[in-house]
Amino acid sequence: MTQFLAQTWLLWILLIAAGTLTLLGRTSQYFHYVRNRFLMALVGLLTVSLIVFSLMEVLPGDCAEKYIAYKSTQGETITQADIDAERARMGLDQPFAVRWGSWVANLTLNGDLGFSCAKRQPVNLALGDRFWLSFMFCIAGLMLSYLIAVPFGILSAYVLNKPWADRNPQHTTARRLLNTLGLGLAKALDVVLRIISYLGLALPNFLLALSIILLYVFAGESAPTGLFSDAWRNEPWFAEQGFQWGKLNDFLGHIWLPIFVIGWSATALQLQTVRALVVDESNKLYVDAARARGVRGLSLWARYPVRHSISPLFNSVGFDFQRVFNDLPIVAVVIGLTDAAALLIEALAMTNDQELAAGILFLVALVVISMNFITDIVLAAVDPRVRKSVLGH
Amino acid sequence: MIAAIFGKRRAAQQTSQDADYYTAGQFALIKARFMKKTVGLIAGSVLMGLVLLGLFAPFFSPVDPTINGADSDYRRGAPQPVLFWDDNGFSWRPFTYTYAKEQPKIDFGALLQSGNLDALDQLTSSGALDASTQNKFTVDKEARRYLQFFVKDWEYTILKIDTFGIDWRWDRHLFGVATGKIHILGTDEDGKDVFSRTLHALWITISIAIVALIVKLFMSLLVGGVSGYFGGKVDTILMAITEAVRVIPPIPIYLACAVALAQIDLTPVQRYFAIAVVIGALDFAALGRRLRTHILVERNQDYVLAAQLAGASHMRVIWRHLVPSFGSYIIVDTLINFPYVILAETSLSFLGLGLTEPVNSLGVLLQKAQDPDIQQNMIWQFFPVAVFVLLIMAFVFVGDALRDAADPYSERNK
Amino acid sequence: MTASVTNRNKLLDINNLTIDFRTDEGLVRAVDDVSLSVREGEVMGLVGESGSGKSATAKAIMRLHPGNTIFQKPSQINFYHNDQAHSILTLRERKLNLVRGGQVSMIFQEPMASFAPAITLGEQMIETMQIHRRIDRATARKEGIALFDRVGIPMPDKRFDQYVFELSGGMRQRAMIAMALSTQPKLLIADEPTTALDVTIQAQVLELMLELREQMGMAMIFITHDLGVIGKVADNVTVMQRGRVVEAGAMEQVIYHPQHEYTQRLLNSLPHLSTLSDVKTDTLEPFLTVSHAQIQYPAAGAKRNGEAFTAVKDISLTLPKGKIIGLVGESGSGKTSLGKAMLGAVPLSHGEIIFHGEHPLKLQAKGKIPRREIAARGQMVFQDPYSSLNPRMTVRDIIAEPLEAMGLTKSKAETDARVIEIAKLCKLNIDHLRRFPHAFSGGQRQRISIARALVCNPQFLVADESVAALDVSIQAEILNLLKSLRDELNLTILFISHDLSVIANLCDWVCVMKQGELIEEGSVRKIFLDPQAPYTQRLIGAIPLLDQKKLDAACEPLNTLSTATPAQPQGCLQSRYRVING
Repeated sequence: MTQFLAQTWLLWILLIAAGTLTLLGRTSQYFHYVRNRFLMALVGLLTVSLIVFSLMEVLPGDCAEKYIAYKSTQGETITQADIDAERARMGLDQPFAVRWGSWVANLTLNGDLGFSCAKRQPVNLALGDRFWLSFMFCIAGLMLSYLIAVPFGILSAYVLNKPWADRNPQHTTARRLLNTLGLGLAKALDVVLRIISYLGLALPNFLLALSIILLYVFAGESAPTGLFSDAWRNEPWFAEQGFQWGKLNDFLGHIWLPIFVIGWSATALQLQTVRALVVDESNKLYVDAARARGVRGLSLWARYPVRHSISPLFNSVGFDFQRVFNDLPIVAVVIGLTDAAALLIEALAMTNDQELAAGILFLVALVVISMNFITDIVLAAVDPRVRKSVLGH
Repeated sequence: MIAAIFGKRRAAQQTSQDADYYTAGQFALIKARFMKKTVGLIAGSVLMGLVLLGLFAPFFSPVDPTINGADSDYRRGAPQPVLFWDDNGFSWRPFTYTYAKEQPKIDFGALLQSGNLDALDQLTSSGALDASTQNKFTVDKEARRYLQFFVKDWEYTILKIDTFGIDWRWDRHLFGVATGKIHILGTDEDGKDVFSRTLHALWITISIAIVALIVKLFMSLLVGGVSGYFGGKVDTILMAITEAVRVIPPIPIYLACAVALAQIDLTPVQRYFAIAVVIGALDFAALGRRLRTHILVERNQDYVLAAQLAGASHMRVIWRHLVPSFGSYIIVDTLINFPYVILAETSLSFLGLGLTEPVNSLGVLLQKAQDPDIQQNMIWQFFPVAVFVLLIMAFVFVGDALRDAADPYSERNK
Repeated sequence: MTASVTNRNKLLDINNLTIDFRTDEGLVRAVDDVSLSVREGEVMGLVGESGSGKSATAKAIMRLHPGNTIFQKPSQINFYHNDQAHSILTLRERKLNLVRGGQVSMIFQEPMASFAPAITLGEQMIETMQIHRRIDRATARKEGIALFDRVGIPMPDKRFDQYVFELSGGMRQRAMIAMALSTQPKLLIADEPTTALDVTIQAQVLELMLELREQMGMAMIFITHDLGVIGKVADNVTVMQRGRVVEAGAMEQVIYHPQHEYTQRLLNSLPHLSTLSDVKTDTLEPFLTVSHAQIQYPAAGAKRNGEAFTAVKDISLTLPKGKIIGLVGESGSGKTSLGKAMLGAVPLSHGEIIFHGEHPLKLQAKGKIPRREIAARGQMVFQDPYSSLNPRMTVRDIIAEPLEAMGLTKSKAETDARVIEIAKLCKLNIDHLRRFPHAFSGGQRQRISIARALVCNPQFLVADESVAALDVSIQAEILNLLKSLRDELNLTILFISHDLSVIANLCDWVCVMKQGELIEEGSVRKIFLDPQAPYTQRLIGAIPLLDQKKLDAACEPLNTLSTATPAQPQGCLQSRYRVING
């Protein structure tokens, strides 16, 4: 019994979730929407798995060949018959649909992503914590980009329709000068930020990483590549004298580089998005109406255009994650990381490890789809505009 | 007399300006609005310059960028600056110096004589075998090499279309020197000229992007058009697939396809096209979705209904109304997407899975920037990086200005 | 009324207001040397068409102008508060709260767009109250709910916590009024507050505003293009055209004794009884018969338990030949669906439509729609003069489209000849045929639209709210064009509109629709003077009208004037119109 449960735990969780949502959806329109959205997410995942799985078919070689090739290095002589027998044993002679079906079935039953032949261990084991490491990189990079992009995007939107100088003939000369100074500073800051953000678009991540490494080279220091410096790489986190703060320190000294690199280009795009969203909202009549009621200054901007552009921004978190992860593999190569992204490159470009690559790609898609699902249901609960469009009231 | 003519013309231009505006079509209007944007114009001229440089790369290149033109006497050579004056005085004709290879002075005789390891140690520590010093060049400031223009050098093809029997060749180059070769931006480890390679790479990269964008456009039109026009179940299925494709990060997919391509035996040209097709074909999700929305919106415009009520057939509605309605939109979108496609190509080449040496593409040249040897000793090989950034920036700014200019109703909303 | 107002204290004084907008093409003058003043408790009507500068003037009072605005030097706006003049244009941002929301409130044309969509109505109201008054949340809430109740919103405590899109159009504008009153302003600026509403709701909102003004005694600046509304509410009137004041004075003076030609033109666009055409029922020849028509739209995809929406429920009617038939109804009454169904643009789900004549043509539910045959018989003129013309085609190509699509002409020369002929008929300048639609104003675009509809010689025209987007004076030109086309070509025109003034001026026959059903039909005279159905009575009664006796007197000099411009509709002699105010 316990074994049966252990082998099918994920399926039960999914079924219970769907069942609960269906039950709740009978009485609540919101949960009905959540259930539909949940089912849509599952269908999306199924489609993704199909795409990923068929993509992996184009990679050269298969598990049997790799396994046999490994055996041959052990000194055994191999014939084509051996390979075919191995294929039949692994089920690789089955048609594509059957193999895909069994992969999906294993995945839904207990979250098993398959067996990596190149690494000769299950994909779940091979990945280990590395996926979480990549995940944290992306999230940290995203956080960084939001931290920069949101305030400065708002500033950029604020100064967009402002002139460089105050030329209002109604103002006194002193006031005009003062206002011009303020406007000039804000505008100049905006221009600088926009140039930086354009640079972020134009300078691909790997070039940025290279440039930073190059700066270290010029300065005559060793660049903080990898995750740890040599001294700490093999030290455990917990030694006899307790937690090793030095290792943490070393770790932090290294991970800022990938986070900064992937954060920058994300910032560039994010800055433009925030700016466009806020400008859009700030041109709407209700902002003028609020101003006419006496709302002004910071509270006007915070409560009206900014507050109303948060939802669409929040809504795009999933795809932002996808975009950031997309850049991560190349950065990982340049900086010499050992996370899932580096593993992905290794699996694709070097070892042709279909199972591992498919697993990683599927996990990324899983994260994106889950994020989209969560943002959608949160927004439907929180934002009345979204609620109106999806629930119809 | 001349002034009078010009005066008249100017007056005529003034009065016809309004009429021009009124009879201006969609593209003329976009052009007029684009012309008002200073940043866009500057970026546009930079872009045009780069494209022309790339298109006529052989003409602008002083040295053959292939292995045939590699300068075996000037490997890993530093840039040879072009000067107008120096300590020896001023010259109207720009010139450069003569560079000669410094032979490593390895005293083999001493080595043989002594026969002990001390001499060998001395040799190793002297740095004669060091990468950074093994190619030292002496500059002979007295031997000026003057630049010549429209010089005759290696022959190249301007245009070649086999089916029409067209094969135009030329052998003139914008500039060169009489003796030896000029490397205004130095050479790489094979002695190939960095400047010439960059110019040639420019066009390869741009043309790969063009091919990719055409394929992308075709795919997007197919998916978006079918989805938007037929609607219903076809739409639902196509959009579900599009949505799934949108979720997967594209670079790993390109990688997988590139790896798959690697096992097929392809000539460089075929490989080049295959990469472009892969990049283009898998990038249909965003544009396809937008085209679908566009068609859905445009289909409900009153003027489409008016055409239907006027008895126009489906084909007429599609060709006269729907297709022109997103024509300008597609062109603008394509231009905006140029930098991203170029980035995709360079990313692939950077990982060694796109184009590879000896092909000249910006990605191939950028890949070298990874090499610590180049970072430390041949900083001039970073020139392609600068060109690359300039190219992308120019595209981004032009795209931005064009996007603002192309909004068909921007005038109405004022 | 006027006499008592002049004795009161001045509240607002605008002197030589001149506003320029900085654009790519240089400075554009929006308001040119405008002076006006408002006294306490006075209602000032500000009349003008789009682009007349009336909204720019109102925004200047609140200093809500966009960043590219320049107030030229002599401009001055003074607001008097506690016997002290405050110069609004030079006031510090911090002190502007005196006028913004404090002493002056503003109501906008679009109640939907003027509330923030993601904040509850109550929240926005409490915020406003707390900015201007020392008041705690609970009290503010209680007061806000009371105000909601006072402006006639049912279930005020529930509505208070709802979002703007959860209310109907009329309720939204009531909420907007409650919001404006929440700070107890001395002056209320209302920018076209009733224009976006249906006629009956328009009347209710207007009634409410007058009532509240009586009770609270505040002054009002009432901006509108509708003289009928002004006649009902204003003490004084200022008429603006192209940024300038063309006429100003007491309401009676301006409305009933207009001096400026522009004011007279505006006055002439109001419904006049003498032009109500009277058709004899027995002389009518049927042109088109609709029998038991029903139109259903499938449920929208996102909605759960979505049922098909029935726009038209079992309608039978006959359109008389060679007449202009008005199809009247409020938004959502199904009038557009019915009009489109007559041209086969919307399929019938039940019933049939028959074109009479030598070769009768029948449109049936679920039958194939004979597009070409219908196209040859009937064409459509749309509401939006912008989206109905393909911006990528020249005017010549647009007008020629039906000819080319149906292959009616054999050569390009023949097509061109026909296009020029019809363009002349629609009073388009034939030199402009090479131009693109963006070169034309709304009225001219509508002429192009009419020319396109008529180029293939149809007998039938469906005009769907075709003048709703146009200014009053341009409306009149298009209406005259339609009338002359009816007479010259013996056209049958179905004119769909919610605007009863337009219907009264134009149509011979009227059908009234409500929620997909036909309420009443008859000659325009009968419908306007002797409406039978209660709904029609309500509808007719809701039109804001001027005092008819005084209008009679005013129309004497007007008629002599209007003979000079024969294109204008005749004046309002011997009007026996229902008197609303008197």
